[in-house]
Amino acid sequence: MTGTPLVEADRLSRNFPMRTGLFGRHRDVWAVRDVSLAVQKGETVGVVGESGCGKSTLGRMVLGLESPSAGAIRFEGRDLSSVAGAERRRLARRMQMVFQDPFGSLDPRRSVGAQIADGLRVHRIVAAGEVDAEVARLIDVVGLQKNAAGRRPHEFSGGQRQRIAVARALATRPDFIVADEPVSALDVSIQAQVVNLLADLRRDLGLTMLFIAHDLHVVRHLSTRAVVMYLGRIVEEGPSEKVFGAPAHPYTRALLAATPSISARKVDEEAVLAGELPSPANPPSGCAFRTRCPLASDECAAAVPDLAPYESGWKVRCIKSGPSQRRGDL
Amino acid sequence: MRKLILPVSILAVILALVVLAPVLPLADERAMDIPHRFAGPSMAHWLGQDEFGRDVLTRLIYGARASLSIAIGSALAAALIGTALGLLGGYFRGIVELFTVRAAEIILCLPPLLLALLVVTIFGAGFWPLILALTLLYTPNYARVVYAATLQVRALDFVTAQRALGTHPLKIVLRTMLPNVLPPLVVQISLVIASAIVIESGLSFLGLGVVPPTPSWGLMIRAARGAMEQAPLLLLWPSVALAGTILTFNLLCDRLQSVLDPRAVPAGGAIWLRRRRTTPIAPRIAPDQVERDHAPADLLSVAGLTISLDRPGGIGSGMELVRGVNLGLRTGETLALVGESGSGKTLTSLAVTGLLPDVLKITAGTAAYRRRDGELRDLIAEDEDGHRQLRGDEISMVFQDASAALNPVHRIGEQLTEVILAHRAIGRAAAKREAVALLGRVGIPDAERRARAYPHELSGGQRQRAMIAIAVANRPKLLLADEPTTALDPTIQAQILALIADLKRESPEMGVVFVTHNLAVVAEIADRVCVMYAGQVVEEGPVAKVFARPRHPYTVALIGSVPEGDAERLVAIPGAIPAPGHMPPGCSFAPRCDHAVAACRKAPPPEFWPEPDRRTRCLRFEEVT
Amino acid sequence: MLRYITYRSLVAVFLVWIVVTLVFLLLHLVPGDPAEVLLSQGSTAADPQAVANLRDRLGLNDPLWLQYAHHIGGILTGDLGTSFRDGAPVAGQIVQRLPRTLEVIVTAALIAVLLGVPAGTLAAIRAGGWIDNVISFLSSLALSTPVFVVGSVVILIFAQELRLVPAGGYVPFAVDPARHILLLLMPAGTVALALWAVVARMSRGSVLDVLERDYVRTARAKGLKRRRILKRHVVRNAMIPVLTVLGLEMGTLIGGTVLVEFVFNWPGLSGYLVSAVDARDYPEVVGIVMVISILFVLLNLVVDIVYAVLDPRISLTR
Repeated sequence: MTGTPLVEADRLSRNFPMRTGLFGRHRDVWAVRDVSLAVQKGETVGVVGESGCGKSTLGRMVLGLESPSAGAIRFEGRDLSSVAGAERRRLARRMQMVFQDPFGSLDPRRSVGAQIADGLRVHRIVAAGEVDAEVARLIDVVGLQKNAAGRRPHEFSGGQRQRIAVARALATRPDFIVADEPVSALDVSIQAQVVNLLADLRRDLGLTMLFIAHDLHVVRHLSTRAVVMYLGRIVEEGPSEKVFGAPAHPYTRALLAATPSISARKVDEEAVLAGELPSPANPPSGCAFRTRCPLASDECAAAVPDLAPYESGWKVRCIKSGPSQRRGDL
Repeated sequence: MRKLILPVSILAVILALVVLAPVLPLADERAMDIPHRFAGPSMAHWLGQDEFGRDVLTRLIYGARASLSIAIGSALAAALIGTALGLLGGYFRGIVELFTVRAAEIILCLPPLLLALLVVTIFGAGFWPLILALTLLYTPNYARVVYAATLQVRALDFVTAQRALGTHPLKIVLRTMLPNVLPPLVVQISLVIASAIVIESGLSFLGLGVVPPTPSWGLMIRAARGAMEQAPLLLLWPSVALAGTILTFNLLCDRLQSVLDPRAVPAGGAIWLRRRRTTPIAPRIAPDQVERDHAPADLLSVAGLTISLDRPGGIGSGMELVRGVNLGLRTGETLALVGESGSGKTLTSLAVTGLLPDVLKITAGTAAYRRRDGELRDLIAEDEDGHRQLRGDEISMVFQDASAALNPVHRIGEQLTEVILAHRAIGRAAAKREAVALLGRVGIPDAERRARAYPHELSGGQRQRAMIAIAVANRPKLLLADEPTTALDPTIQAQILALIADLKRESPEMGVVFVTHNLAVVAEIADRVCVMYAGQVVEEGPVAKVFARPRHPYTVALIGSVPEGDAERLVAIPGAIPAPGHMPPGCSFAPRCDHAVAACRKAPPPEFWPEPDRRTRCLRFEEVT
Repeated sequence: MLRYITYRSLVAVFLVWIVVTLVFLLLHLVPGDPAEVLLSQGSTAADPQAVANLRDRLGLNDPLWLQYAHHIGGILTGDLGTSFRDGAPVAGQIVQRLPRTLEVIVTAALIAVLLGVPAGTLAAIRAGGWIDNVISFLSSLALSTPVFVVGSVVILIFAQELRLVPAGGYVPFAVDPARHILLLLMPAGTVALALWAVVARMSRGSVLDVLERDYVRTARAKGLKRRRILKRHVVRNAMIPVLTVLGLEMGTLIGGTVLVEFVFNWPGLSGYLVSAVDARDYPEVVGIVMVISILFVLLNLVVDIVYAVLDPRISLTR
């Protein structure tokens, strides 16, 4: 992993001011806090975490759809905040997004072909006369029938709409795609179709991808590297196999234990994490996870732990990080 | 679109009269004929003559000219300005919003008629002051409506996608936003025209609007009031014209709304609320298939359950959504109903409790249920009152979305007390104490205080716990849980699953039907599983056996599509679930099945019993695995 | 809750300030000289001496900020100036007439709600049936007939033809209670008709909407009796949007009183306004508009507070 990463988030933070009470004691709710992440060309980085952990906000910031309160995003080393207007829009060609809701992500009033063609026209990817042919090619790439271009989105099922959304994202020939929960609204069997499609495209087109999901299994299946977030911060980051194989952060372990599996396993009811996500408006001092952590002790409240290297390419934000060896101490 | 024909054609006639008035063979609208003042209808003057002997019909038509041109003119002018303000304010938000929408809204601080009167005071009465007043008056209305619609549309992903695409913001506003806010805008225009006619005629009536001798309906009514004793009909004509025109515009508005908004409320209200029974009880059918049931289902035995769409005259009426479902539940057992959307799993569970939506009807089947007192009852034949006695008491339900399933305006404690009091003869105070104890039991910390909270004050997990507390309050024999953990995060889902397991240990008699789409959840909590596909049970058996060796290709594919294990590619079932109206003639899975042979496509396969405690609807179950 | 009420009250005070300023601006930012505009009748130019006098009386020769200060100061001290027509203080007239207008508004709102909610609920429960059709038809008709038409027709039929009631007027309650109420019911009932239609239609739609909600299904799943579900889970929740509409209709309601007071010769504030506008009596118009607008803001405040009582989610947000 050498050279400039394709996309790099540098100490990214995003807060939403929230007014409590009558005369506005302003209080910041941090959706994302101090997130640094480098995505190398050709990589698929999976981001997992429960609702409210900031993974979607992170994805939108990386694409520049939301501006960070602090920190910077660099695309091939260029700070996104330093480019604006037409030049910024040109840069948009290279980064695209696939959304969660297959029903909200397509304009109900325009034909599928017209929506796929938008990207081709805005960025003049092909000559005006070749737009139709290119749309047809894209429709074929995502495995839809040829006559799809002339139809309206409501004529398609959820899985097909997600394919259309992928085709639209591919139209600008991007290098980088952010997929925000692209399969979680789909039925299991359809989910597999879309997961396979994304895997094929990544291989065939050499796409770099930021894959956001709450389903550990899907992330593990698709991504080469995994990022686990909790309450706006990255708590663990490393190669997928290692993070999910032998998680080093107690939250990752809990998440893994909480995710049901079809393969027979002994359900350890004791391992069920107690309590709920603390309010992002009022996070615990020190390590945000300590209120629910089975390993927590007084030192955890003292300061936010660093995202410290654990092994090569593997970082963990826990002062007690390690494989579950400390379980026995309890 | 058909609904629009009536109001649009009436309006076309009115508008044609108004536009063509100068060329129509009408009398001069200002020509007086004092000797014949207050003359009744005659051949020359169809509607009679007014206090100056002028022709009433002519004046009515010319009055419409004044009223409509003022109303339509100001409605369109206001629409133009208001839409621009609303679109810009809603799309760009921030400071732009302040100077567009918020600024326009200041006008709403004044009651409408008063604002108009103020303008008239300043500029005097007349045509243009009226246009100005009404435009000023309605601009904020449009700005608001368009602003609200813009906010709604703006949050949709296809707008974000346009931004991600690098499209110019103004182009997004015009090409993507505008067409999508058009429907509420069109409705608003017709509403405003009606309202503008009311205000214009009101002002003219007060003598502060259109200036005589220009005819106007308001002025005509004003004049007729003075002559009520001589010619009461003079009051009637303009009143009818005015009310009729407004009525037409209101009708147009209503019809537009129902045409443009497909989510229109279904007519029919709530059949369950009516005292008289309006749906005939489904005919009992002989449960011939049940005899083959090797598993003695002593708690609940559903046989041949068929649910159809019941919309007389509507599209797809009679379409079967659930087809001949058999399933059995033993005391203390957990049965998982698993399937994708449209498989009929939720409908099956709702049918058992009599909670199906009004547009659905059970057309066949029985559901034998053994009551606490030992009596055997067919739940399908039960009417609303019969169900009511069982529901919440012996049979209870947990729904998927607790935030929607709890009433937002009542405290959690009250909602819990309510179900206790509905079925048990205990005092309110005792019920309250029990409610608090129950909340504690389902793991809500500080239950005493939480009982006084409203649903929105609880977290998602706590709301689902409260929902479960309501369900188990009266120690049911049968608990139906419809996707109770689907909307929850993994760690909270694990907590809720653990809670259900815990409650089951506490009341080992309780049978649970657990509806879910998640195979992994099934694997962890259920004893037996029913796999549903396109309205049928395609496979049933003990969880361990079914997962180890599925006997239906759909089950095989479903398990293969779960991204666990190391397979490079997932098993993806090609195609999609057939729509209820378009079931293939043979096995409904055949079009997507790798194993399908000619026989599969010919006739629906019967149920096979590979083992005494398992069944499948597949001709080739031997070869599947 | 208390917090919410305080907050809404502060908002109301702010809105009153906006209204007061708005009226001031409307008068002073009008192109041309207001005094000249006011005195000109059609094409005849105003007498320059009269214009100068009027400018002086209106204080138009003062700098704008001083005029604004006078304007605000006058309102705070209850001094709304003196009438052009008779030189009497405007505030005195308003104090005398305001209660009569309030009486009409409150009576009309009560009639509309007490008859509209049950009608709408019934129509929703029997949606598609004949009761629903009758109520829908009546409400469309009521909604489409302007109040002054209804008022005039009421007078025509009941006073003129049947001679059952007087054609309008006013008798103080203390003098003849029965007659007072009879005379009150005519304008109030007329205004109530349109509002009834709005309430009934909104109730119908809202009840139909609530009937589809999950929590109603939950209430059924609990095995509650129909009456209880209807009362506690359907109508109770359905009232929230109805109240919103009621708040939005306050403006129409107030506008309606202007017309019915004129029609029925009811000596309230609104009738006074019409004659003031007709005479273009500047101080009178400004005073009345201001008072009615403040009333409008206060009525909306009441709606907001009732809203918070009905919907516990409200007092948290905002």
